[in-house]
Amino acid sequence: MRKRKYTIPTYFAFAWLGLAVFLAIFGSFLPVDGYQVIHGDFIDSPPLTPGHWFGVDSNGYDIFSGIINGARLSVFIAIVSVGLGGAIGALLGITAAYYRGRYDSFINSTFNVVLSVPNLVLALALVAVLATNVDINEAVPTWRRLVTLIISLTVVIIPILGRIARAATLAWSGREFVVAARSMGMRDRDIIKRHIVPNVLPALIAVGFLAVGVVIIAEASLSLLGVGIPDGASWGGMLARGRNDLEYNPHALYIPIIALAFTVISTNHVGDVLRGGLDRREGRL
Amino acid sequence: MRGSFWVQRFAQLLITVFCVTFGCSLLVQLLPVSPAEILLPVGSPEERELLTKEIGLDRGPIGYYLKWLGEFVQGDFGDIYYSGGTESVSSRLAVAFPRSIWLMIYTQVLSLAVAIPLGVWSAYRVGKRADKAISNTLFTLSSIPNFAIALILVLILGVRLQWLPTLDYQPYSAGIWEHFKHMIMPVVSLSVGLIAAYTRLLRADMIAALREDYILMAASKGLTDRRILWRHAFRPSSVTLFTSAALNMGALIGGAIVIETIFATYGVGFEVFAAISGRQYIALQSIVGLISIFYVVFNLIVDILAGYVDPRTRDRRVNA
Amino acid sequence: MTTMMSISDMYVRFETPFGLLEAVRGVNLEIPAGASVGIVGESGSGKTVMSRAAMGLLSGSNVRREGKVVFNGRELTAMSKEEVRNQFGTGMAMIFQDPMTALNPVRRVGTQISESLRVRLGMDKKQAMQRSAELLSLVRIPDPEAMLRKFPYQLSGGMRQRVMIAIAISCNPELLFADEPTTALDVTVQAQILQLLSDLRRDLKMSMVLVTHDLGVVANHTDFVAVMYAGEIVEQASTTELFANMKMPYTRALLESIPNIEMKSGARLKVIEGRLPNPVDRPKGCGFVTRCTYAQQKCHDEHPPLVDAGNGHLYRCWYPLGHTIARKQ
Ligand code: SF4
Repeated sequence: MRKRKYTIPTYFAFAWLGLAVFLAIFGSFLPVDGYQVIHGDFIDSPPLTPGHWFGVDSNGYDIFSGIINGARLSVFIAIVSVGLGGAIGALLGITAAYYRGRYDSFINSTFNVVLSVPNLVLALALVAVLATNVDINEAVPTWRRLVTLIISLTVVIIPILGRIARAATLAWSGREFVVAARSMGMRDRDIIKRHIVPNVLPALIAVGFLAVGVVIIAEASLSLLGVGIPDGASWGGMLARGRNDLEYNPHALYIPIIALAFTVISTNHVGDVLRGGLDRREGRL
Repeated sequence: MRGSFWVQRFAQLLITVFCVTFGCSLLVQLLPVSPAEILLPVGSPEERELLTKEIGLDRGPIGYYLKWLGEFVQGDFGDIYYSGGTESVSSRLAVAFPRSIWLMIYTQVLSLAVAIPLGVWSAYRVGKRADKAISNTLFTLSSIPNFAIALILVLILGVRLQWLPTLDYQPYSAGIWEHFKHMIMPVVSLSVGLIAAYTRLLRADMIAALREDYILMAASKGLTDRRILWRHAFRPSSVTLFTSAALNMGALIGGAIVIETIFATYGVGFEVFAAISGRQYIALQSIVGLISIFYVVFNLIVDILAGYVDPRTRDRRVNA
Repeated sequence: MTTMMSISDMYVRFETPFGLLEAVRGVNLEIPAGASVGIVGESGSGKTVMSRAAMGLLSGSNVRREGKVVFNGRELTAMSKEEVRNQFGTGMAMIFQDPMTALNPVRRVGTQISESLRVRLGMDKKQAMQRSAELLSLVRIPDPEAMLRKFPYQLSGGMRQRVMIAIAISCNPELLFADEPTTALDVTVQAQILQLLSDLRRDLKMSMVLVTHDLGVVANHTDFVAVMYAGEIVEQASTTELFANMKMPYTRALLESIPNIEMKSGARLKVIEGRLPNPVDRPKGCGFVTRCTYAQQKCHDEHPPLVDAGNGHLYRCWYPLGHTIARKQ
């Protein structure tokens, strides 16, 4: 077996994702403006304007700080949704495949039904229901919209990762060491913890990266439709604003697009590389 | 034996339709307020009472669903409620469906027309430069969200060059060129991701097929590579491709929400969005029901076609 | 006797992640016109690769082929891809081991047979179908008309192999390669197929290369035999001479591993112990040394050359059978 070497694009992808995660965590400590700071003198400045590298849009928002602030929201939402959705999906998928029977058929068909609804439709419907106030005329506070958004995207992720976990568990739970552990009277909990989870996890992580891309795109789509984070601080929100500003400030559109595309390309690429490594590992067994 | 296979398959798909629409109707029950209040924000309590009865909300979750189902199968898709009055969902869909169908057909035709030659070619040249170039380019393009592609197209072709209209839909009756002009950008934006996905699927299956003995056999007959690729390898490799293409049809009809909004195509996807954001739950349920019926129909069609493309699948069904 | 095909100094190497795999190492072989030549060896001995390389059927970016193949007086190895292709069907044809995988699963039997006739002989559809039916009756398939409309998965293994033979002989090839044509079949069907091949060879005046792991098959259906081991020819003679005067310990071991119908059920078949040497990293001495009961120190140290016993009987062994004097105990 030759040692797997990462190629240059893979390093780029890791670097970009590392940067995005860094911004998501520490972005608020960086010396950049809040996204709502208006630079009145610089309205409509093109990129490379001194002090405003990425330019300023027609609202007077600096795009560079917008990207950094946006990374905080977009990446944060994506990581939390995929983390939660992955955990719940894994729990359901692994137990379903391990215990089989009716419970399994129920879980599996639920996954399939949910997967037959397009991602965005599902997320939209959930957002619409969850963000409804008792008093419908009262505005929904931002924190609640954020929570709503995360819950909705989590629900989208659960069947995607759950199905992967289920398939992987099905493949592993027939292996000799699991059967042996069972016959030796090991408790199911321990078997799952010691033998199933460590083997299912790599596949889950690989697809998890792809799922981050899915969530980032979904969040941006919702923002474009006007049902995302209301004050438009995420990358999707910047896109939505940039869209209205298309004619005079194209940079207000293409810079967030580039940020978004780089991130999704990176997550997809890393997911792909990890999955390729897995296939090779499986191939050797 | 084969009969029972179809019955089973059909039942499976019907259950999916049930679950999706029932899930939809459950959403209404999850609301913290009565839908009547949302639908008639300025109505009097009596009017709301009447509406509650009319849409069956007083019958509990199951009764509500059954009432909707009864009307749905009779072709009554319910109404959309405005402050001023109502509009029937069917009349809205009569406008939206053809738009979405055209969008879907053009997108599929374009995607397959590009993906099939690319997939066959890159499988033929697997590992060579052409294959790597195709795979990498498509991978990158497919990672760019379709709305981003749409917005870039609008920026370049619509705003800068002014070649294509950026908004609206024109029917055939407005002239073929007008019709196409309004379709090009939405179709291209939707196709990019599909081309990548289809090419990838076909390439993988073609590579597997090209390793088969029957390809060597075909080569030993003295056939040209072109003939081997198309006549011997493509057909057995195409089943997965067409299956996934069929699965996409439902998503393309109801799921092209962002693209339909950006280009103001206002097809079914937009109606879904409008129903959701306008809290028109009955309309939503009916539209989603219709979409999932499409999904079922396309699925069955593909199952039938797969039997013709690859006769082995017929045999497998008999065994199953 | 004229020569149908001559193979000289053939090497075939595959680039693998583990290193260069040498599958065929310096093979020289002549196939006389009208004769049947058996190539015998275990799986992995290089016999299949050798026959495919001889025909020019190995493709792929990781394959390196060396050596010269002359077919019918023309050098195959110097021809362009198109020219080689034009030899297929009419000049040479091949029958593959497993008819299940070698017939295209999604095309009807009739289409698959008539394809060669239409593409290579330029027949029209009707002619080709008619000829296909004739070919099917030539390979003794009852009700050929009905067979034309069937798909391979609807046939038994023996029928499939007959169909494949029909395809191979459809354009009257002069040389037929049969690569383990009966291995995938039931024992009773095996004999029928082999008989069919022998009869067809006689009637159609073809030369044939019969690749097999079974010396019993070779005994009844070939004129000459080449035994391959680890990519090399280790013994070669006319069939009668080989069985009368076996020289290689390996050939003897192969012979002893033939299943015998008279053998009591439950009686253990003698298998050749051990495994083929690692094809990436070959030992320097005789390749059979770890498995040979006659091996001496010399076998470990020096690679035995292919020597002629005088009557065209070639062998590659320091201590051949029947020369016990040379062997120290
Ligand atoms: S050379 Fe030696 S090891 Fe090789 S076959 Fe002959 S006796 Fe056996």
